[in-house]
This record gives sequence, C-alpha cells and structure tokens, in this order.
Amino acid sequence: MSSLLRILENEVQIAALVFLVVVYAVRLAWLFRFKVHKDRTVAAGSEGAGIGYSLMAIAMPWSMESTRRRPGFYAQFVIFHLGVAAAIAASFVIPYAPGFFEIRPIAALFQAIIAAAFVVGLIRLVRRLTNPVLREVSSPDDYFSLALLVLWFAAGVLALSSRPERGEWPLILFFGLTAFFLIYVPFSKIGHYLYYPLTRFYLGRALGHRGALPPARQKRAAAVAGERRS
Amino acid sequence: MPYIEIEERKVEVNEEGFLTHPQEWTEETAKFLAKAEEGLEELTPEHWAVVKFIRDYYLEKNLAPMVRKICQATGFPLMKIYDLFPSGPAKGACKVAGLPKPDGCV
Amino acid sequence: MRRRKAGPSGVVEAPLDVRSQVQAREEGLLSVAKGRLKTYEPGDNVRKFLDLLGRRVSRPLAVSLTACVHCGLCAESCHYFLARPHDPTMTPVWKADQIRKIFKRYVDWTGRVVPWWVKAGSVHDDEDLNRLKNIVFGTCSACRRCSYNCPMGVDTALLVRFTRGLLTELGIVPEGVFNVSRDQWETGNQMAVTETDYLETLGWMRDELRTELGTDTVEIPVDRPDCEVLYTINPREIKFDPRSIAHAAKIFHVAGESWTLPKWGWDQTNFGLFSGDDKLGAFVARNVYEAAERLRAKRIVISECGHGYRSTRWEGYTWADFDQKRPTESVVITLKRYLEEGRIAVDPGRNTEPVTFHDSCNIARSGDLVEEPREVLARVCADFREMFPNRRENFCCTGGGGLLSMAEYRPLRLEVAKIKADQLRATGAKLVCTMCHNCVDGLNDVIKHYKLPMRVVQVLELVANALVVPEKSSR
Repeated sequence: MSSLLRILENEVQIAALVFLVVVYAVRLAWLFRFKVHKDRTVAAGSEGAGIGYSLMAIAMPWSMESTRRRPGFYAQFVIFHLGVAAAIAASFVIPYAPGFFEIRPIAALFQAIIAAAFVVGLIRLVRRLTNPVLREVSSPDDYFSLALLVLWFAAGVLALSSRPERGEWPLILFFGLTAFFLIYVPFSKIGHYLYYPLTRFYLGRALGHRGALPPARQKRAAAVAGERRS
Repeated sequence: MPYIEIEERKVEVNEEGFLTHPQEWTEETAKFLAKAEEGLEELTPEHWAVVKFIRDYYLEKNLAPMVRKICQATGFPLMKIYDLFPSGPAKGACKVAGLPKPDGCV
Repeated sequence: MRRRKAGPSGVVEAPLDVRSQVQAREEGLLSVAKGRLKTYEPGDNVRKFLDLLGRRVSRPLAVSLTACVHCGLCAESCHYFLARPHDPTMTPVWKADQIRKIFKRYVDWTGRVVPWWVKAGSVHDDEDLNRLKNIVFGTCSACRRCSYNCPMGVDTALLVRFTRGLLTELGIVPEGVFNVSRDQWETGNQMAVTETDYLETLGWMRDELRTELGTDTVEIPVDRPDCEVLYTINPREIKFDPRSIAHAAKIFHVAGESWTLPKWGWDQTNFGLFSGDDKLGAFVARNVYEAAERLRAKRIVISECGHGYRSTRWEGYTWADFDQKRPTESVVITLKRYLEEGRIAVDPGRNTEPVTFHDSCNIARSGDLVEEPREVLARVCADFREMFPNRRENFCCTGGGGLLSMAEYRPLRLEVAKIKADQLRATGAKLVCTMCHNCVDGLNDVIKHYKLPMRVVQVLELVANALVVPEKSSR
C-alpha cells in the first residue's frame, strides 16, 4: 500500500473526523443560544410520549400521509441511508479491520447495499433535475451534495472489490471523498441528521404537551379508513 | 375589480359581492343582489323593512347595525331574519342593502 | 435577486393598502399612539425587518429553518398545491424558503459567506416585503398539515406565523388584518362590539329564552362571582348570531350549572394568533384569565371557536406569561361532561339529517380534541358519517389563518377550496358540523361557491336541538 493511501485512510480521516466533531459542537452551541419560551399551560398529554413518537416518525412510514402515499419513495429513502451507513462503516473497517472484508459474502453484501444506494441516488438526482417543485427550490448545495454522494457510492462499490496492489485509485477516491464530506457536511444540508433530533424533539414536546401526539392507535386507523357509521 | 350589470349600468363589487361604492345602491341593485347572492326571486315587504332600516342606519351612522337593532326596529325575531336572508344579517341583509363588507375574521 | 413574475392569481402582487392605518394615526387611536399597534411608515423597513428577524428567532424556529432538506414531501399535503399542481409557489417548502433564505443570508453560517450556494437571499425594499406579506398571509392558512407530514419535523406553519409577526411589527399587513387588530386592541374584542351592545344583546337573548322556556328562572349572568364556569364567547355571537348564546344558556340552565359571562374579558377569539403578534395575543388572553381571577371562577369555558380555543386554552398562557391556574376547556368538553354525568338528557332522534364532522386545524392539529366532539355527536345525532381524511389528517376549511378577513386573497382561497368541496361532497351528508366559527364561514363559502347541498352547524346547535327540557325547571 502506498504511503499516500495509508495516510489518507488513517490520519487524514481522523483529522477530518475531529474537525467534523468540533464544528458540530460549535453548531450545536450556536443553536442552543436561541431561546425557548416556557409553556405555561397544564399538559393535556405526555411530553415524553410526544417526543418519543416524533423521534420515531421516520421509522413509522404509516404514521404520516406523505410517506404512506409514497411507499416507493420511502423505500428509496431507506436504501439510500442504508448505503450511507454501509459506506461510513466501510471507511472504518477498511483501515482498521480489513480482515472483515476478506470474508467475501460480507464484502459482497456491503457492495450490494452501496450499489443499490448508488442507483437510488441517480434516481433522486434525475428527480431533482426534472420535478418542477424541486427545480424551483433546490440550491447548488442540494445538487452538489447529491451528485457527490452518488460518486462516493460508486467509489465505495469499487473500493470494496479492489486490492491495493492492483491499483489504488478507487480507494484513494473513496477515502478522499470521505474526508471531503467530513469537512463539508457541517456547512451543507447533509448535516440534517444533526438537526433531526432537534426538530423532532421540539415538535414532539409541543404537540405531546397538548395531547395532539401520539394519536391513539385505533383512531388512526379510523382516520385513514374513513369509517361509515349510522 | 369585478362588477355586476344592472339595467346596463356597471356597478363595482368586491370579491365577495359587496358594493365597493355603497352610494351607487338603488332599489334595483337590492333586487339584483338579493337574487344573485341570496337566491331570492323577489323581495317581500318584510324584506324591504329590513333592508330599509339597515340602509337608513348606515347612511346616518356609517356603521352596520347590530342584528339586535335590526330585530328591535323591525319587530322580527332573530329566526325570522335568517328565514328572510339565508346568509344572515351581515352577509345577507347588509349586502342587499348595499353596505360595504363588514370587518372581522367572521 | 431574480424578480418573480406575477405569481398565483396575482396574489403576490396585491398592493399594500394603508388607508385605514393612516386614518388610525390621524384619529390618534390609543393603541397606535402607545405603540402597541404598529403602522406602516416608508423608510428603512428592510433594516428593521432583518433586525427583528435576528432578535426574535427562537430555538424551535431556528431548527425548523435549518433542517429542511428540500425533499418536497410536504407539497402534496397542502391544499393550495393539490388544487394547483402546476404552481410550485403553492408548496409549503417554497413558502417556507421565502423566510428561510433570509435567515440563511443573515443569521445562519454558509449563507452569509456564499449565499448563492445555499440559495440564501434577501428582501431589498418595501415592495419585496409587501410580496412576502402576500405570500405568508395570502397563500397559506397556517393549517399545519405540512408540519405533520414533514419527515424532518419542520414546522412550516410556525414559520409562516413567525414571518407574519415580523411584518405586523412594521405595519406591512393586509388591510383586513390591521382593521381587526385595531378593533381588538381598542375595544378588547375583534368586532368592536361596545359594552352597551354586549349587555343589551345578552339581555335580549335572556328574554327570548325566558319566553321560549316559559320561566323566569333562566338567566344569562354577567360578572357573577364564585361561579363554576366563566363562559367566554366569540364576538360574532353578539354581533351577528346570538342564537348560540341562547343555546348555551339553555343548556347551562337545564344542567343546573353555576355560570357567568364577564363584563370585560369575554372575547375568547384572538387575532394575535393570525397576525403573529404575541403582544396582542397576550393582551386579549390576559383579559380572559384576569376576568376568571377577578370573579374567582373555577374554570374557564370557551365557546366553539378553533383559533379561540387554541389561543385561550393553549398559546395565550405562554404569550401572557401567565401560569395556568384553572381548567380551561372547550364548551364541547363541558357538554360531554354533562352528557356523561346525566346532567342533561338528549334525544338523537331530533337530529335526523346525515351529519359529518369537520375537524378544525387549531383544535385537532394544534390542540387535543379529536374524539371528544365525536362522542358528543354520537349521542345527539341519528346519522353520523366521517369524512375522509379526518381527525388530524383533515383538510383545512380553507378559511383559516385569518383569511376570512382578507378579501384580496379570496379568489385564490376559493379556487383551492376544490379539495375541500370534493371531500365534503363525498360524504353524502346534509349537515357538516364543526367546532369553529371560522370554519363555519369558511365552509359556507366553499358550499356556496361549489354549490353543495349542505348546511353548516355547530355542536352547540345540535345539542340544543336534541335537548330534552324537563317539564318543570327546578331552579
């Protein structure tokens, strides 16, 4: 293995990761400087239940009309983010536990997930370029992040099947992009995973306090089914 | 601004059918609005009693009268006002009487 | 910044009408003179706007502003977009972006350094602020359906209210919004009802009720201390249709309730919710809470109103910095209790026409009452049908967010009401029942415009219809 690759998949990653963590810490501190108004009312429900339900929302596609109506879109979301998780995992496994990927079925599984995410990424890129609503609201960051992520997935698939002695460029590309993302993500929409717990917490707490969430299970079925009773 | 045509005269109304310029009101206007907005084919003397009171009140005080005053002046109970003008005193009777749209997030 | 062409139905280009504001200043109205009610003055409004934005963003708002990933799932939850699928400016994401882009440019990080990269932008003059006003007041009813459907939990409806609040502080509001705010500041109620009119109307309804029931024992008390219930109403009930007050009084009478209306602080509606003005919200809500304190009432009961319920039961305590000390409930809850405790008897056979129920946004999505009105209706109606979708997934009546007071946005509102019309028609019901006065008018507009063979009623009316009055009034 060349010294470039060794430094890239090790020291550079760690430096980038430290940078990411530091910036995120500053970002969170900045967000927490904004004030919260204290709710003066007596609760009609449970804030805890509301928060829990809200945090779990993305894992409950039946609970929101938007995801219920678009199961294909939701499936894409799942595959895409599994790909992200797999690629991130690979960026740790390759330098620190390479033996893991010597087991062919495991490497193949990771490749398959990341390849599927690659395909979904392409679909999403086409959507963002052709859907009139998304064209109207999308920023260069939206397009760039998605395109680069798609490239990263491709690099990941190639990196997982390559051997350093046969040509290092897939691995260099993969780890180069990983390092780039670690630096870029906190300033981009990709950092949304940091905000998800926060938006969900505040929405869930407010609506849980009022007893608006979570909905009782049998009543949600009625809301969807449109029962007739006379 | 949209308008309605009454006897070849163009009268301006706002988006809800209220007269933009209340001074342009005539009895013909009232009949037209009653038919178009309330579905009333003709106006009985009882309708006119309500309309006349509202119109006179508005011209004197530049305000729409409260429904209680309408009932007191005409002697009609509240139910009767709703019978005469299905949209109610504000959106029905006041509109026919040529008043401008009442304020308020009603 | 790219100048946008005339937007949906020209709504974006509706001009700023300040005639009544000028008049208010000339008349030296107290609320204007004391700086509570803001009026528009040409000048450096953009700078003031940006300053307010920076100072007023709270943490829940900040996370809603940063978390959007432009996925577009909110689009199909909004009746504005569903009725106009060719128009991206009708989507919640686009509307939220109009304030988000400014936040990105002046408060957030990346947008301050490379604005074009994250589509950060700004407002440059009062024309831009006026367009923003048209967007947040005229193309959204703040129904919160988008907030419930966002995978990230972005609360777009809250962002819309926030933006409205900034503009209200500068007097850049639709004329209807200014007029109603002025009335509520000056008189304590949204429709400028005077104390004399208020008291005389209550007396009139009491007299009619006494005639109807054939007894002098029925009362409509005002400022009676130490009662169980402090009843608060919508000014519309005084000004246009006091029948609901008579219904409530009859029910309280039969239930043997100790109740009163207050002489001041009787308005449970709250235009501060719609204009985004927390100061107005606090003023109105505090009037109610202090009336309850003054009269030592055990609980506050709110007549049927969606935004009034949300404002008085929930938001008002926070706006007014007033700890909730007594139960504050909707009259529908009171009715439910009477029915369960057997304090009133009803005969569902008196309401035979098929009834459907319209869940109001401020009660079902921003409040807690979904099953309770249904439990009441189940007892007083013979033929009840759900509309679809319903409960928290219901569509707005299209008259929400104060839209009913803004005539310039009516054509668009009625156009997008097609979604609601289809929903109503599909039930086959003759009556649509709702707990909100705004919805009554919003739905009436939909029914009239789309020629639906239906009528709107409220829960109080249906209960009063079904009420079995005992032969002899015992009190």
